[in-house]
Amino acid sequence: MTLLDYLKAKQLLDKYGIHSIESAYVKSAEEAARFSKGKPIVLKVLSGKALHKSKAGLVRLNLYTEQQIASAYKELYAKAQKLRPYNILAQHMSESGVEIIIGGRTDSQFGKVLLIGLGGIYVEVFRDFALRIAPITRKEAGDMLDQMRSSNVITHGGKNAKQIEELLMKVSALLVKNPEISELDLNPVIVTEKGYEVVDIRVLK
Amino acid sequence: MTDGRKPLDISSALDPKSVAVIGASRDPDKVGSIILQNYVSSGYAGKLYPINPNADEILGFKAYKSVLELKGKIDTAVIAIPAEFVPKVMAECGKAGVKSVVVVSGGFSEVGNTKLQEELVKVADKYCMPTIGPNCLGVMDPRTRVDTLFLPTYKISRPEIGGVSFMAQSGAVGSTVLDLISGEGFGLSKFISYGNAAHVDETDILEYLIKDRETKVIVMYLEGIKRGKDFFEAAKRASRIKPVVVLKAGRTSAGIKAAHSHTAALAGDYEVQEAVFRQAGFTIAEDLSDLLYYAKVLESEKAPKGPRVAIVTDGGGAGVLTADAIASLSDLKMAEFSNTTKAAIKKTMPPLVNAANPLDLAGDAEETRYSNALSILSNDDNVDMLIVIALFQTPGADSKLASKLIEYKEKCEKPMIVISIGAEYTETHKKMMESSGLPVYDSPASASRALSALYKYYQFRSSR
Repeated sequence: MTLLDYLKAKQLLDKYGIHSIESAYVKSAEEAARFSKGKPIVLKVLSGKALHKSKAGLVRLNLYTEQQIASAYKELYAKAQKLRPYNILAQHMSESGVEIIIGGRTDSQFGKVLLIGLGGIYVEVFRDFALRIAPITRKEAGDMLDQMRSSNVITHGGKNAKQIEELLMKVSALLVKNPEISELDLNPVIVTEKGYEVVDIRVLK
Repeated sequence: MTDGRKPLDISSALDPKSVAVIGASRDPDKVGSIILQNYVSSGYAGKLYPINPNADEILGFKAYKSVLELKGKIDTAVIAIPAEFVPKVMAECGKAGVKSVVVVSGGFSEVGNTKLQEELVKVADKYCMPTIGPNCLGVMDPRTRVDTLFLPTYKISRPEIGGVSFMAQSGAVGSTVLDLISGEGFGLSKFISYGNAAHVDETDILEYLIKDRETKVIVMYLEGIKRGKDFFEAAKRASRIKPVVVLKAGRTSAGIKAAHSHTAALAGDYEVQEAVFRQAGFTIAEDLSDLLYYAKVLESEKAPKGPRVAIVTDGGGAGVLTADAIASLSDLKMAEFSNTTKAAIKKTMPPLVNAANPLDLAGDAEETRYSNALSILSNDDNVDMLIVIALFQTPGADSKLASKLIEYKEKCEKPMIVISIGAEYTETHKKMMESSGLPVYDSPASASRALSALYKYYQFRSSR
């Protein structure tokens, strides 16, 4: 199984109209500072040798000033040398909201499986998730939300239900049209009253 | 999307004009002999042909050395001989034009003998001869009186004729549930135990039961699913026509090992199968007893208009426990009685009866008070379903009450179920009600879950 390059994965999401947070690879602290345009950013080391970035200390959040960006870049650059080949990814900070996971995998029996769950670091503790076989109908997207204990929290009392249902339909289409994808994690996807933003992407082929 | 195979037609095994029992012998304890005897005892009206190279007559029937002596005369053959001889005998069946085969014999892939099983499948395919088994109990239909079960009738009762069909991979689970069904008031349409599923598999059987007009509810116990995509397609079609209740074994089996993503870690094999059932609109059972609880309420074929439940009781405590059980299920609601209902209750009931839900008719309630309550509630548009608690330990509850409830079950357009908890005296009345098609439950929890399943099923059906 191989991990798809982050920006390629982002492009794939773009193609299906799935909105993910603005991201770019940066080769220097100056490039990272230019990317931030004065807004807070995140820096991450991406490498096939470290799948769990946060646990390995390869993520630095909330970098405002040029000084913060420069020191974080220097630190991550040093750590990354052991993880070649690697990229350093700069991303805008997401708004705060409820973290969910949307994912997919290929089941040998039934084909593409679509998942939505309450996300964040407690995904496997709460185990509040719903699964369907893709492709799904709009009605089934709604059923997935209804099935979860946390549906009201996720949809902010129904305010963004429409956007999340549409997101599920789009991920369903992506899975069906790209049979070579064996596993997909959009985790976390930050949902607010107004909509959603995919913050991290992992596509395995 | 399909796995691309047409369903194998098993109708000739369940409604045959003639049956060959291969392996019947003069020794009455042999499996083949028990099967032949069961066909005779159940009153099967078609032709029976015992096949045995060493006998001229078995149980008064002329015995034949081989099916080849009966070309074109046999609809289905039941095979109960040692495994090693099965493929050869099946080939003879194929040559003799047998339409379908039930292989009761064990000794195939379940004991590691996959080669022999492959041979069996090859023969079945060569002659286009749908083959149930091997290593199974086979089939039973109380209407056509087909009975290939090699379990003597004194050990396991045979259910009455009814609308519930039950398919099970495991013979032991199959016979246990069959025995339980026979103790319930509702009857059986078809029983199919399909063992190793070497040829005919769960999807073929599901396809058959979808089409079968006598089957009102399909109940399945699954251990595996062979053709996932075909199964899913059939499953979705099934629920639009009739309810399906499923119990799937293997929840705790290790999921995907070394998952690379959170999705794969969460969505293991069992979870995916459960998603398939849910998406298809199946009712998912957690336990063997659930199969019966759900089957009997679904067999009544009454669709609730909404989720609001009214409780009528002769015991206050039982009423409150049932209201609690309803409240614990997110899809059901306690009904709010209309003003007309409240006024009618005040008018017709003794003053100690409070016009609230649960409607407590008090410990001295007899059939007239129940009757008044039910006629009021069945006309209340705020009430979608009825739970009647009849505690037969109370002075007023006797067989007159049971008859009254049966009468209302016929009259009332809304789904109605009964909770009766107790020993012998209660059991007698429970049987009486159930055999008239009124489902009876032994706890508030099981009754509430049954109504929830009923409501969910019809919700699903009306939304697709």
